[in-house]
Amino acid sequence: MKKKLPKLLFNSVCLLVYTFLLAPIVVVLLSSLTTTEYIVFPPKGLTLRWYTELVDHPEFMQSFTLSILVAFGTAFIATAIGTLASLAVVRREFRGKTAIVQLVGSPLLIPSVVFGVALLQFYSWIGLAASPLALVLGHIILTVPFVMRLVVASLVGFDRSIEQAAMNLGAGSWKVFFQITLPIIKSGVIAGAIFAFITSFDDLTVALFIVSTDVVTLPVRIYTYMQYQYDPIITSVSSIMILFTVALMLVIERVLGVGKVFSSKN
Amino acid sequence: MSYLSLENVVKTFNKTEVVKKLSLEIHKGELVSFLGPSGCGKTTTLNMIAGFLEVDGGKIEVDGKPVHLLPPNKREMGMVFQNYALFPHMTVYENVAYGLKLRKVAKSEIKIRVQEALEMVRLSGYEKRYPKELSGGQQQRVSLARALVIKPKVLLLDEPLSNLDAKLRQEMREEIVDIQKKVGITTIFVTHDQEEALAISDRIAVMYEGRIEQVDTPAAIYNYPKTDFVSQFIGEVNHIQGKVLEAYSDKRCKMHFFGNEQIVAIQSVKDSEVHFFIRPEKVQISLGKSNESKEAFLSKVERKMFLGAKTRYILRANDQHLVADISNTVLNPNQIQEGNNVYTFWNPEDLLPSRMVR
Repeated sequence: MKKKLPKLLFNSVCLLVYTFLLAPIVVVLLSSLTTTEYIVFPPKGLTLRWYTELVDHPEFMQSFTLSILVAFGTAFIATAIGTLASLAVVRREFRGKTAIVQLVGSPLLIPSVVFGVALLQFYSWIGLAASPLALVLGHIILTVPFVMRLVVASLVGFDRSIEQAAMNLGAGSWKVFFQITLPIIKSGVIAGAIFAFITSFDDLTVALFIVSTDVVTLPVRIYTYMQYQYDPIITSVSSIMILFTVALMLVIERVLGVGKVFSSKN
Repeated sequence: MSYLSLENVVKTFNKTEVVKKLSLEIHKGELVSFLGPSGCGKTTTLNMIAGFLEVDGGKIEVDGKPVHLLPPNKREMGMVFQNYALFPHMTVYENVAYGLKLRKVAKSEIKIRVQEALEMVRLSGYEKRYPKELSGGQQQRVSLARALVIKPKVLLLDEPLSNLDAKLRQEMREEIVDIQKKVGITTIFVTHDQEEALAISDRIAVMYEGRIEQVDTPAAIYNYPKTDFVSQFIGEVNHIQGKVLEAYSDKRCKMHFFGNEQIVAIQSVKDSEVHFFIRPEKVQISLGKSNESKEAFLSKVERKMFLGAKTRYILRANDQHLVADISNTVLNPNQIQEGNNVYTFWNPEDLLPSRMVR
């Protein structure tokens, strides 16, 4: 009897936390099915009308493609930069190392609105117009710290004699990196890439300052649309975003196993 | 003809010389141990041979060709690391095959050679396992197979047994020697464990502070240490201080120690203080005076420690301590109690004169 009460408490706390975390997502998903002309929860009736109606709004599809392209570009470049920077930070001693680590990590501390304003100023100063490239560059700055956090964690405790063993067996430095080092820190690198992708795909505040009329990411599109209209198209677009992210996670889970990706062990 | 030669090899870290003009010749098929305390430069020297560290002076030759300027991947050396250093993302088979794949050996031949190598280390049937699914001893055997399968010119073993427990360590070291002799590969074995070095080496290079103090067979290192460091580092020693009573012309002296006189083969001058070492197992004791012990002196048993096959007696004579290890088959430890006076003696040739000037 005595042991049952703490267990009951523990379970209820867990339930509460999960409910709190998942409820908004469920609300969005369900309200996208409403038959009403306005967003309501619980939905009244069930229809896929708001999904089919997206066909009349090609701008959402355009923004969706743009967001994915930007997120892929960001994830790819930020992961490459972040991984190499992590190797340098963990393995080498050089002048100003702490300063560089702090500088690279600073976007995590600066409010993203401030960062967006700064980027806007900077881009207009160097004459960089709103473009997918401008978005990718901004998002790289934003996401490299995430990648570094995760890759550095997977590099700590990395036994370098493993690399020496490979060299000893005849591998040159490129082969050592791609056949030994990278596969061993793979989980950190992939986790970093996922974080970078999601952060970029998700970003509203920074993108708000960079977008122009023909370069609009999906979060910005949803945001601006909502300022003028409040129909369930918003919820159907949001649902697609959620489902896309979940699908992405499932694919990664299938290929690698999320448990593997997010644990520090190999 | 030496196969592996080090000539005046120097390594400097932050202006400190950690390896000082080290020279050594190793013959083909020989197993040489680098033995010394931590910080003596033995691992640094090994890393220079493997190519992980650049030499700051001198040269290293294998089979008459200089190798010290080659990168590690071009040196054709097989190395076994203290912490095994297996590739965690590869199976046992892939680990062993890795070096062969890099050499672009045909797949069918890789298969045969990997199988042979795994058979040699008695790990056939483990091909599909991952390193983390193996015990420490098994991992080290995979590591040995991986190093040997590429048929390296030299096998380098960096404290390969120090992460294993005592019993496994003994088994493994015998296995390593068996394989080494069977393959006939020139081998360097780095260790800080003197028993290990004595047990397996053809020759031991005792290192201290970046220098080789003595290179010799295990027996010669133990019985005829050439420097004070070697005599103190290998085995245990008693320090004895004595005074020269008379110096003879035939390089012998009449010495005075423990209130006793003894003639010792040593060159010295009258009245000088001389230091000696003697190993505890060379000190003998008896309850009564016998022919054997005619030069014996009396000492008091302060402590007695039973150590299994032998008993250790801590003796005191003339205010000097002396440790004697006596085999229990030679002298029944029950015959002697703490506080007893015993006759203490040794063969004069077992006294090792110290070269250190104090």
